[in-house]
Amino acid sequence: MSESKATRSVVVTDPAGVHARTAVAIAQTVRRGKSRVTLTKGQQRVEATDVLQILTMVAAQGERLEIEAVGPDAAAVLDSLEPLFAGRFADEAQKSV
Amino acid sequence: MRFADFICREAILAKLEAVDKEGAIREMVQSLCKAGKVEKDEYESIVKAILKREELGSTGIGRGVAVPHTKHPSVDRLVGSVAVSAQGVDFASLDGEVVHLFFLLISPPDRPGDHLRALENISRQLRDDTFCKFLKQAKSVEDIQLLLDEADTNQFGS
Repeated sequence: MSESKATRSVVVTDPAGVHARTAVAIAQTVRRGKSRVTLTKGQQRVEATDVLQILTMVAAQGERLEIEAVGPDAAAVLDSLEPLFAGRFADEAQKSV
Repeated sequence: MRFADFICREAILAKLEAVDKEGAIREMVQSLCKAGKVEKDEYESIVKAILKREELGSTGIGRGVAVPHTKHPSVDRLVGSVAVSAQGVDFASLDGEVVHLFFLLISPPDRPGDHLRALENISRQLRDDTFCKFLKQAKSVEDIQLLLDEADTNQFGS
């Protein structure tokens, strides 16, 4: 499988911001995939597998983050991550079906 | 935000006795009740709210740390406590490790920014291995308070 790079700009729309649950969900999603993912807010760039690093960004509602994924499933990982910034979690989607 | 802004010194537990998640949360909320930071009448409601939050996904964020928390209308400002468990508690953490350090937070429903800033402070300090190690080894409330004070005055590396 070939390496690819994907980037996406997202705005945090969850009123609670990127809180602990979001950070854990981001880290879990990235750990399940095969790509290396980083999040950037302004000058601060963090590894998306590390909850402590993610929480140090203090990404509140309305703030813009850049996500970068490098690896064989880069685009798919970004697709999985994007709803989390709106406070939409995969387990809730499953429950509502 | 500094630890001194939200950690209640009187509610710090240096020797958490609980051996499971619910027990740990109950012990910490009880400690905040005894310290007068939350109303005794609200104890059960707060415990249930924190447990409900845990059902959505563990707040065991790895490295032996958990940040159980909830929003609750009975508080008008962010209140928190720290507990250390020598034996560790199974918290269904992200990395599967038992939890030795607990930071419990209760915040007013309308103050998500304060909650995020408290999480930032906790996370930033815990990224420092020395702070994390010393806190896990702390044997008394005074030890813990001293470490928190040192962190507040930037005496750790991060």
